[in-house]
Amino acid sequence: MIDSIILSYTTFVYFAAFMLYLLAMVMNRELLARLGTYASLIGLTAQTVAIILRWAASYRMGIGHAPFSNLYESLIFFAWTLMLLYMIIEWRTRNRTFGTFVTPLAFLAMAYASFSPNISSHIQPLIPALKSNWLISHVITCFFGYAAFGVSFGLSIMYLLKRLDASEKKNIFLKLIPPRGILDDLNYQMMVIGFLMLTLGIITGSVWAHSAWGSYWSWDPKETWSLITWLIYAAVIHSRMVRGWKGKKIAILSMVGFFCVLFTYFGVNYLAGLHSYAQ
Amino acid sequence: MKHSTSKHRHNPFWDFFASVKLAIVLLIILAIVSILGTLIPQQRDAVEFASRLSPFLLQIFISLDLFDMYHSVWFRILLGCIALNLIICSLDRLPATWKRFSARLEPDRTKPFDDLPQEQSSRTDETPQQAGGRIGRLLQSRYRKIREKEVGGDRFFYAEKGGLSHFGVYFVHLSVLLILAGGLLGSFFGFEAYVNILEGEQTDTVMLRKKMRPLKLDFEVRCDRFTVDFYENGAPREYRSDLSFLVNGKEIKRVGVLVNHPVEFMGVTFYQSSYGPAPGKTVDLRISGPGSGTSPIPMKVESGKAVDLPGGEGTFRVIDARGDIMNMGSAVLISIQPANTNETVEFWVFKNEEQALSRLPGPMRQSLKFNPAAFKPYTFFLDGLETQYYTGLQVNRDPGVSVVWIGCFLMVAGLFFTFFTSHRRIWVRVLGIGTGSRIDVAGMANKNPVGLERELDRLMKDMRKTAAGYEDV
Ligand code: HEM
Repeated sequence: MIDSIILSYTTFVYFAAFMLYLLAMVMNRELLARLGTYASLIGLTAQTVAIILRWAASYRMGIGHAPFSNLYESLIFFAWTLMLLYMIIEWRTRNRTFGTFVTPLAFLAMAYASFSPNISSHIQPLIPALKSNWLISHVITCFFGYAAFGVSFGLSIMYLLKRLDASEKKNIFLKLIPPRGILDDLNYQMMVIGFLMLTLGIITGSVWAHSAWGSYWSWDPKETWSLITWLIYAAVIHSRMVRGWKGKKIAILSMVGFFCVLFTYFGVNYLAGLHSYAQ
Repeated sequence: MKHSTSKHRHNPFWDFFASVKLAIVLLIILAIVSILGTLIPQQRDAVEFASRLSPFLLQIFISLDLFDMYHSVWFRILLGCIALNLIICSLDRLPATWKRFSARLEPDRTKPFDDLPQEQSSRTDETPQQAGGRIGRLLQSRYRKIREKEVGGDRFFYAEKGGLSHFGVYFVHLSVLLILAGGLLGSFFGFEAYVNILEGEQTDTVMLRKKMRPLKLDFEVRCDRFTVDFYENGAPREYRSDLSFLVNGKEIKRVGVLVNHPVEFMGVTFYQSSYGPAPGKTVDLRISGPGSGTSPIPMKVESGKAVDLPGGEGTFRVIDARGDIMNMGSAVLISIQPANTNETVEFWVFKNEEQALSRLPGPMRQSLKFNPAAFKPYTFFLDGLETQYYTGLQVNRDPGVSVVWIGCFLMVAGLFFTFFTSHRRIWVRVLGIGTGSRIDVAGMANKNPVGLERELDRLMKDMRKTAAGYEDV
């Protein structure tokens, strides 16, 4: 399949982007960072094309459906949204150091999807329960949310690193990271977007479950973990809004939240459940 | 704003439940409890796990309802605490929010203009009257609420928008209450059940999932037809049941139910959830024995009906017919009632006898129970079962669902309001200086200061565009 071939090359392009961003920070060369941006753009474009090709291919096979229906496709979509969000942030802030902390997540997701022996990249026909526009909205919103939380996770690491910086230190790597205030604001914005998207994701998922199984909420482990993730971020938003927590505490909580995201995504497969990704 | 500001200040109960610290603690407790619920097997899955616990632990688990914690009393109390927390916290803060929303601020306040950045001031050759008229029209086109004032030839404007953003949070919190209420409504006045109906048959009784006891509906459902089609790889592509609903024997409605496309009848919703083969009524058998000569006699028999053996040594009946048993293919259970004794002989006959024998565990192979020649001198062969499908329907009533959906909608709308709008208040003053005037712009917002700054910049630019003769101060 041409699409999975393009996608596996994209994996390397993202890795190259990561290395370029990283080297740019270590060696303090703006040119390398710019090359990193080009690599990211090429990767994102190729990935977009591959996703569309895959979509078209499923229709040619007579089992047409949007390419968001199994673990492979969801990981690809996660990486895609992560890179899209990242490109928007880079463009808005005109700062390329974020790339060092976000591209590796996209690379890892792609690598896991493309090279794990347990994950099939075949286009599979959908069982009737998965044929639903609500399910497509569910996957899109959830993974947008996860990507925003992923960016927030990267920003939190940057924040914690930046704390090590001090005016008398000569560490270029740390100096290049934007000031803490900016990181903190951006981090909160990402969590807010993620929270909104996760809320939409849980709701669309419930609507789908309701039409497919007759129950909008059945406490299956995947559902429950998405609720746990949601509760954690709700707690973070409240602690910041109302108790005025900022900076380090929020960064650490964001990392806890992202751990919950990862568990919702992968860990739950080790618990029993009825989600189709758990194969 | 840590302490409540209202008249309830001295009530410790009120203070406790008005606290946001409590909210954070409750949200985290709820998260931890939910984690436990995914680690401890719940409901039906719990049986195996429970059998491995020591009696003492088992007692503790059972008395704390840990095998069905999401439906336990203490879990509902926890949700109740969150609801109470939300209600009291909102009531506690609403008056202050209302004040902030509705405060009538004067156009000629000077405080917003203290430490005004350079760019937000400019000069024009027009008189304050001319410039003021223009600016008034510009503001009018952009803001909903405008107030203006004239003091000694100087013009003052006040404009605001996005006041409702103060209430987004209340919508979100109300939506949480609605969703909880909807869930409660469903669990008190609804039910979850299932029913399997053979093609062509009808029923008015469904099985409650939790209590595993039958429930009689006020009407009957008939499955007129069941169809399923498959992908090349054998997975089902689509399946559907054509149902009829009957009240007092009269057909009221005919409709098709597909996966993801449930139908509702008299407040009860039917979901296509599963299907399966069910052996039908007729069985094709061949029997060899006395009178059959070289080739066995084919017979078409109906399940359950007694049929005479070809030689008249007694009768036999098909008392069970399975589409598949133990992965050995279809089989029927034959019961023979010999004419001369009361002892019946029962044995299974497989369609594919060789394959079945090879899969049977050794000792069972010798058993007469699996020997199609168990009743001498006959041997039975199974040629085929007429299979029918049964449709598996999930049957629910949930009067809370619409409340939950309204809550969900309100939550999303509320979150949009909270996160993406802000209450922006803007002051513009036009002061006469010499023959021209000076224009100052200042603003205030309840959140998103960067957005406000951008808006002020844009406003300044547009004011410049509408008039010639401006110059920056
Ligand atoms: C359970 C789900 C809850 C959700 C989804 C939720 C959601 C939110 C959101 C989105 C905000 C706005 C944050 C912002 O402006 O950036 C907020 C603020 C707030 N929440 Fe909640 N909340 C929940 C529970 C609670 C509870 C139980 C309380 C109890 C006291 C509470 C009290 C507050 C308060 C006081 C604010 C600040 C309001 C203000 O800006 O004046 N929340 N909440």
